[in-house]
Amino acid sequence: MSNALIETQNLTINFGGHRAVDDLSLSIEQNTFTAIIGPNGAGKTTFFNLLSGLLQPTSGRILFKGADITGLSPMQRVALGIGRSFQLTNVFPTLTVHENVRLVLQSRERVGCRPLTSYRRFPELIAEAEQILADVLLLGKGHLPAARLSHGEQRKLEMAMVLAMRPQLLLLDEPTAGMALEEVPVMLELLTHAKARGESTIVLIEHKMDLVTKLSDRVLVLVNGALLTEGTPAEVAKNPDVLKAYLGGGIRREATA
Amino acid sequence: MTAKRWLWASYAVALILLLVLPHAIGVMTRELIGRIFILAVFGMSYDILRGYTGIINLGHAAFFGGGTYIAGIMFTRLGTSASASLLAVALAWAFAVILALVMGQFAFRNTGAGGVLACAMITLAFGEIVRHTAETFRQFTQGADGLTFAVPVIFRDRIGMYYYALLFLVVMTLLLRQFINSPAGRVLQAIRDNEQRARFLGYDVRKYKLLALVTAALAASSAGFMFALLTRFANTDLLSVQNTLNALLFTIVGGTGTLYGAIVGTAFVQLVQSYLLELRGIHEIFARWQIFFGAIYVLVVLYMPLGMVGAFLRIKGSLAYWRTSGGNHTRAGD
Ligand SMILES: Nc1ncnc2c1ncn2[C@@H]1O[C@H](COP(=O)(O)OP(=O)(O)O)[C@@H](O)[C@H]1O
Ligand SMILES: [Mg+2]
Repeated sequence: MSNALIETQNLTINFGGHRAVDDLSLSIEQNTFTAIIGPNGAGKTTFFNLLSGLLQPTSGRILFKGADITGLSPMQRVALGIGRSFQLTNVFPTLTVHENVRLVLQSRERVGCRPLTSYRRFPELIAEAEQILADVLLLGKGHLPAARLSHGEQRKLEMAMVLAMRPQLLLLDEPTAGMALEEVPVMLELLTHAKARGESTIVLIEHKMDLVTKLSDRVLVLVNGALLTEGTPAEVAKNPDVLKAYLGGGIRREATA
Repeated sequence: MTAKRWLWASYAVALILLLVLPHAIGVMTRELIGRIFILAVFGMSYDILRGYTGIINLGHAAFFGGGTYIAGIMFTRLGTSASASLLAVALAWAFAVILALVMGQFAFRNTGAGGVLACAMITLAFGEIVRHTAETFRQFTQGADGLTFAVPVIFRDRIGMYYYALLFLVVMTLLLRQFINSPAGRVLQAIRDNEQRARFLGYDVRKYKLLALVTAALAASSAGFMFALLTRFANTDLLSVQNTLNALLFTIVGGTGTLYGAIVGTAFVQLVQSYLLELRGIHEIFARWQIFFGAIYVLVVLYMPLGMVGAFLRIKGSLAYWRTSGGNHTRAGD
């Protein structure tokens, strides 16, 4: 219990007969950058769903700064400082791109209901949302409904939203999934910037090994819901078990590129 | 800026026309238009729920009818003095808030995939309980016969009542518009779009839904109260699912999630309905106006899913999009 921001103890979840996360006990240190890799179906997203409160574990506990948060709702976990992005883009489709980001800021700044005050009375939120959109190169698209963005642009919006939360714990689920290769550098830059700002402890699920190597202090390899191995990116890359797990798990080509 | 000036000019013209109108038309038409003003608020209150928050409330008539009955019962029992009237208003609002909180407590419990259906069934049950209660306590409500009552003196003048109804519509439109453009109103639209993500931004979805329901309930109950002043009559039809479906029809015809759509939709439905009723002299079939509304409902859903105002905004939005792609912070086509 040194300096762990979040810690799981024997975390387990069953879907019917299938055990997606299996007796997982690990801890993530404050102000570190951790990557989670593993073949498709390894339970990485499910692990995030447990940490963020979307799913309740069958057994086991989750501690955040030493306090048990296993029973808390997603909303309560956000209030504690846990923010996540989604592997499958999960935005507000009919609202404008700008409004998607502004809503994050409205929550972060705890504006409250104010049922008879215009939202325009908070111009600093509008301005900051614009700045954030500029950072992810979406400024020109701010007025469009989010559904009209291309897939890659929606991934950037998804990322912009979770970064705007400025959470203490940032859970990023495959931010580059399905993105065109030429768009990946923007994502890398965003991640590098978020890391450099040092406000958040970051956990990243990612298949692109070059991205993982550049950013991570530590890599966890998840297979069949359990920890196969962990170490620095270099150590993990050398581990023959990892390659075997990947080949056995039918990982996509991009992961080993 | 000139576009805005034109807009204000057209509002002003419309308002002047509406102010002059009651002197230029017959009693029946004046009555009908007063009705439209009041029912439009009921329609807008429904739009807050279905159009802005994505809540299906099948018991919404309980708020409207509740407002009418409370006015009627209070005027019958306590008379029409100013203090009795104020007490009646306070009771109508208290009834709306309490029923909304209790209804919402049950209806918004299920957050999973079945939540929408559960909400529809639970609100339906609450609506039926209220209607049944009104039918049971005959000594207060006169049951199915309906309750006829006198209203305070200041509301007895027919032309005066027209103006009160118009004022009510204007004030409620401004208030509800302010509400949907408030931070809370913006969150409601996010909940409608993607409830789960709203939760993961840290919003207490249940609390916001309760706020939407209380707001809509207050508006509907106020509309019901005004309806009592206009018609001086209450019956249990006002509490029925049919009346909830009327509000749904107003918003669908006019355009869901546009607020003003409910006004246009109410006017359209009410005008067509009264026209059809006039035609019943030609053939009995026209008295069965519900059949025609069934048909209109289907046609609108099939060919104009955005409703009248929705279609208008879509066209306007596309034009603006072609002309300029300048910054617009609001919902597309808003
Ligand atoms: N809600 C669910 N219900 C049933 N099975 C699920 C659910 N979520 C995930 N699974 C299963 O759990 C396993 C792990 O899935 P997931 O966590 O998405 O893997 P990864 O993100 O590592 O690719 C898969 O076999 C998947 O089918
Ligand atoms: Mg996954």
